[in-house]
Amino acid sequence: MNPAIGYTAIVAVAVASALIGFYGLRVSRTTSDFYVASRTVRPWWNASAIGGEYLSAASFLGIAGLILLTGSAGLWFPIGYTAGYLMLLLFVAAPLRRSGAYTIPDFTEARLESVWARRVTSTLVIVIGWFYIVPQLQGAALTVRITTGLPSWAGSLAVAVIVAVVVAAGGMRSITFVQAFQFWLKLTALAVPVVVLLIMVGGVEPELPPIQAFPAAAGPGDLDVYRTVSLMVALLLGTLGLPHVLVRFYTNPDGTAARRTTVIVLVLLSVFYLFPTAFGLLGRAFAPDLAASGEADALVLLLPGRLVPGPVGDLLTAFVIAGAFAAFLSTSSGLVVSLAGVISQDLIGGSVRGFRIAAVASSFVPLLVALATESAGLAGSVGLVFAFTASTLCPMLLLGIWWRGLTARGAIAGMLTGAVLSGAAILGGSLLGAAAPGIRPFLEQPAAWTVPLAMLVTVLASRADRRGVPRGADAFLTRLHVPEAARRHRQG
Amino acid sequence: MSDEVEARGGGVPDAAPPRVRVTAPRADAAASARPTAHAGTDAPTSDISGVYVRSLIRSQLRLGVVMAVGFVVATAVFVLAIAFTPVLDETFVAGVPLSWLLLGVGVYPLAITVGGLYVRAATRNEARYRSLTEDE
Repeated sequence: MNPAIGYTAIVAVAVASALIGFYGLRVSRTTSDFYVASRTVRPWWNASAIGGEYLSAASFLGIAGLILLTGSAGLWFPIGYTAGYLMLLLFVAAPLRRSGAYTIPDFTEARLESVWARRVTSTLVIVIGWFYIVPQLQGAALTVRITTGLPSWAGSLAVAVIVAVVVAAGGMRSITFVQAFQFWLKLTALAVPVVVLLIMVGGVEPELPPIQAFPAAAGPGDLDVYRTVSLMVALLLGTLGLPHVLVRFYTNPDGTAARRTTVIVLVLLSVFYLFPTAFGLLGRAFAPDLAASGEADALVLLLPGRLVPGPVGDLLTAFVIAGAFAAFLSTSSGLVVSLAGVISQDLIGGSVRGFRIAAVASSFVPLLVALATESAGLAGSVGLVFAFTASTLCPMLLLGIWWRGLTARGAIAGMLTGAVLSGAAILGGSLLGAAAPGIRPFLEQPAAWTVPLAMLVTVLASRADRRGVPRGADAFLTRLHVPEAARRHRQG
Repeated sequence: MSDEVEARGGGVPDAAPPRVRVTAPRADAAASARPTAHAGTDAPTSDISGVYVRSLIRSQLRLGVVMAVGFVVATAVFVLAIAFTPVLDETFVAGVPLSWLLLGVGVYPLAITVGGLYVRAATRNEARYRSLTEDE
């Protein structure tokens, strides 16, 4: 591949993101601006920004790679990533917005009236955020290596530096603009190549005949029920607890707008995921030689150049590289914003300067992890972060919003149970997966048993808590569920 | 497939408005709120506004659970129908088996439909709550 294409596309996206970020700097002044954009973002902007933030390396590169590698099992990932927003809409969106908190730890403390519950939540949010950033940086490493020939670390380092600078300089208001821009960039960057490829391949003979490219053995009929169900539990419930997604809901003006935003997000994601799916299916027919672990994630980057020769192919390649970089930048910066918010409020005292220091710290810790580890498939790595989130933050959030009986001790017990079980399963699965084939699926895809157990422990420990429910529980639940207009009426 | 979901999800919002419009708000609230007040015996719900809030939370939770279960059941039925129809594996559209295409695009309209129905019904629950509290 011509390295000039790679350099041009990467520099263009970095400059565009930085420019939009600094433009936003002029309008972000107060502390409140920095954290949640003063809650003045409209649903369409907000939904685009959520989409821009959410569609990570796993969505942009990972899904097509996984479909190429495993067949229709890969189709379940985008379904779960999208349906997670349905669960968010049904159980979390409006109440969480009405809670009036800035971050998930804020929510925990307000709901449970416990500093310890807050500390446990903060720790989990930071761990989840860091491990979610790692695959983004690994995706950047892969993209830079394949498209420019530079060593892998250069890609990870570039993304970490850009994100740290943009977030520390602009805060979240500017990030809302950047994220919304990134969504439409990512959508275009996949949609245009897919349309051109579909037109071009009309007359071309595929590498493999359809019956070999899409064997029934890798098709929807050959369903691994446990793994699929467990993956769906992880993706559907994990979305509820993703820190960078939740913080975005605070920028809706009220609960009703939060719901409207979520429905728009569902539509945007549904449209977006058609294109990585199409890439994956095209790859199975036209680039079966890429179906090797580690290389498959590069399918989206390599396919346009292979199928479309000449300058048109170069242009399409530049497009997908730009989109991929937008994916790494936007998800990482969204995560860094929410992590910096949590770290600066809990450790540094919530000033603007603290936010900046925290932003730099939250970019560079994952960089060290990304440099020290090898990518094992982008979609799979992100799927594990979802499983961990679903087992830890999701039970606390769901029960905190809907069950007045939740206590601080119950929440802490449940979060720790979920963290230990799912963390041990994920580590165990990667360490001794091949040595213990009988329990391998249960370790590699733990959500189906860790989430119910964490939920159960939360409920039992809350019931056993002799201190009873927090005194303000009823008032807080009222705040979560009563529409804003009626609340004003009650006060007035 | 999607007809089934619309019928399932549609039952909730379609059933709700007649209750609001036909019955007077006060009577409706009393009917739906009394069991709630007795159910939560460990809670201080002496004032009527607390009863209204609990009834609102309960109806929103019920709505969310019904919608979630509806979505999961409909998706499961859809996927099993694909899995147990081998002819879909042998029918190729643009070189791709129909079974792959259906799984690849079929679930999204379902999710959007359920989401849209939920927003309408949830907003209606809140409107009912407001009409109750503003009457006082």
